[in-house]
Amino acid sequence: MNDIIKNILIGLSAIRSNIVRVALTSLGLTIGIFTVSIVTAGVSSIDKEFSKSMAYYGNDKLYVSTWPWSFDFDWWKYRNRPKIKEESLSYIDQYSEYVTDVSVKKNTWIRSTYQNKASWLQINGVYPSYGEMLSGTKVVNGRFFSQNEWDLQRRVVIVGGKVREGFFDGENPIGKKIKIGGVTVEIIGELKEQGMGMVPGGTLDNLVIMPSTTFKRILTRWGFDELVLRAKPEDLNKAKEEVAMIMRVARKLRPDQEDNFSVNSADAYQSQFDSLKTAIAAMGFMVTGISLVVSGIGIMNVMFVSVKERTKEIGLRKAMGATNNNILIQFLSEAIAISIIGGTIGIVLVKLITVALSSYGGLPVDFDLLLIFYTFMVCVFIGIVSGMIPARTAANLNPIDALRHE
Amino acid sequence: MAKSKKEIISIKTISKIYHLGDNVVKALDKVSLSIYENNFISIMGPSGSGKSTLMNIIGCLDVPTKGTYKFNNQLISKMNDSQLANIRNEKIGFVFQTFNLLPKLNAVQNVEVPLIYSSLNKKERLERSKEALNIVGLSDRMSHKPNELSGGQRQRVAIARALVNKPSIILADEPTGNLDSKSGEEILKFLDTLHKAGNTLIIVTHEKSVAKRAKRRIEIFDGKITLDE
Repeated sequence: MNDIIKNILIGLSAIRSNIVRVALTSLGLTIGIFTVSIVTAGVSSIDKEFSKSMAYYGNDKLYVSTWPWSFDFDWWKYRNRPKIKEESLSYIDQYSEYVTDVSVKKNTWIRSTYQNKASWLQINGVYPSYGEMLSGTKVVNGRFFSQNEWDLQRRVVIVGGKVREGFFDGENPIGKKIKIGGVTVEIIGELKEQGMGMVPGGTLDNLVIMPSTTFKRILTRWGFDELVLRAKPEDLNKAKEEVAMIMRVARKLRPDQEDNFSVNSADAYQSQFDSLKTAIAAMGFMVTGISLVVSGIGIMNVMFVSVKERTKEIGLRKAMGATNNNILIQFLSEAIAISIIGGTIGIVLVKLITVALSSYGGLPVDFDLLLIFYTFMVCVFIGIVSGMIPARTAANLNPIDALRHE
Repeated sequence: MAKSKKEIISIKTISKIYHLGDNVVKALDKVSLSIYENNFISIMGPSGSGKSTLMNIIGCLDVPTKGTYKFNNQLISKMNDSQLANIRNEKIGFVFQTFNLLPKLNAVQNVEVPLIYSSLNKKERLERSKEALNIVGLSDRMSHKPNELSGGQRQRVAIARALVNKPSIILADEPTGNLDSKSGEEILKFLDTLHKAGNTLIIVTHEKSVAKRAKRRIEIFDGKITLDE
């Protein structure tokens, strides 16, 4: 063991005296490690963001909308579909076996003001039952509106977690009055903050929820309706089929006609997302693979040069009693060290970029010790693979010929 | 010749044969030779005579094609590479014409090289290396790099390196070949001193004046020993 360490140290001292060459050689590996780390970290961050969005939609919800939740939507196909109407809810409520709760969800975005502050907020008009159907968040301050308030079209709202910061400088928003499209409403509840999500509209927290009756009365602007249905998570797929049937009946579709609505759930979104994620990862790993192979060849090349340059030194060391293994370890550790140096620079670059990214509030990138460990292993592997042939060449040199080499 | 002394090297009818294409070259042809403790031997011969081959075989850098070579009663001629490396490490000190110091290491580090392949620890290695530099009178040049030393000083560092593992024999291949006559003389005097101190020395040279310093002279021509006195 001690013997191995001594030869590794000899190998490392060669690095110190050729620092520029080593730096240039390891550049390829830096790029490779950089790419793979960014891709891995990126994918796992997107994944995390995505699960947060999934929590928002919930694993117990169905959303009946005009558009399917899909990354490859065909605009022309869906744009002429009839709007989703609140009236369909009564069919579902009446005929569905699996759906336990229903609510309409009227959507619009509107410029809202408080004193001299203004902001675009997402407005949802819903049923009182929606308070029980919230997922990924809940009312943490104040309360949801009541059946009575819904019946009387009261101008009461529940706000998302970001509104407090945007309008009230962090003060308690309960009881405050804001203007939505010129109409004054009173805040009676506040939701837990959910953070950024990969959902249409971006943030989940610039949100105002009000009774759908009030929505209809005060907001005449453009918007669209969705139906939100709740079922037990284990019944969700059955509920989906059932709801689709009921919707077809409600819309009097003939058997040969396609659905002119979509019943969406988070898991459909998930599978779309998974394939996208796989594509990103495959691209990343391909780029990485190529750059790792190229950098491995680079290291091998430099090691051959190094062996050639130091032929006389090898001869001398052998004459002084170095065994073939001693020489092998010396050159192998030099190759591994070059590789690790490249990898380390790559890791440092990734670290700097992740720090920069998160301080700019961009996509937060995950970066953990396990990743560093894997990188290290990859570097050692590439060092061994690309250093083995040159190191063996060095180890098998005949000492007499090597000593005579000029 | 001091036959009463212990025999270190026993070479019996060794041949070294090279095949260069269709040509068969006998670099050594049935050479026999005994070397005893505290011998001071010079080996002379023109280039191509086989003296380098003999030197390489004695130095365990090469093995003979035929015949037996025993070093301290160990059969060298049948050893593998790593056994040979161990013999070189423990029993043989080399001095080269071109010094062969590693340019990036200082004097002590250069002297330490053979010890790195021994079982000594760092502290012992450093002590032994300093001691050896002391013997060659360079204790004030320990941390100098080879390019900061004169030719004579470089060769003394190389001799210290040859001495550091306390070898059974020291092999010097044209040790004065790259030195001016003054430094060469200095080195030869120093080799005399080493002989007097009890070391066994073999010098390979083509200069008669150098060969005369040795107590026993061997001449070699066409792969055969032509003189041993």
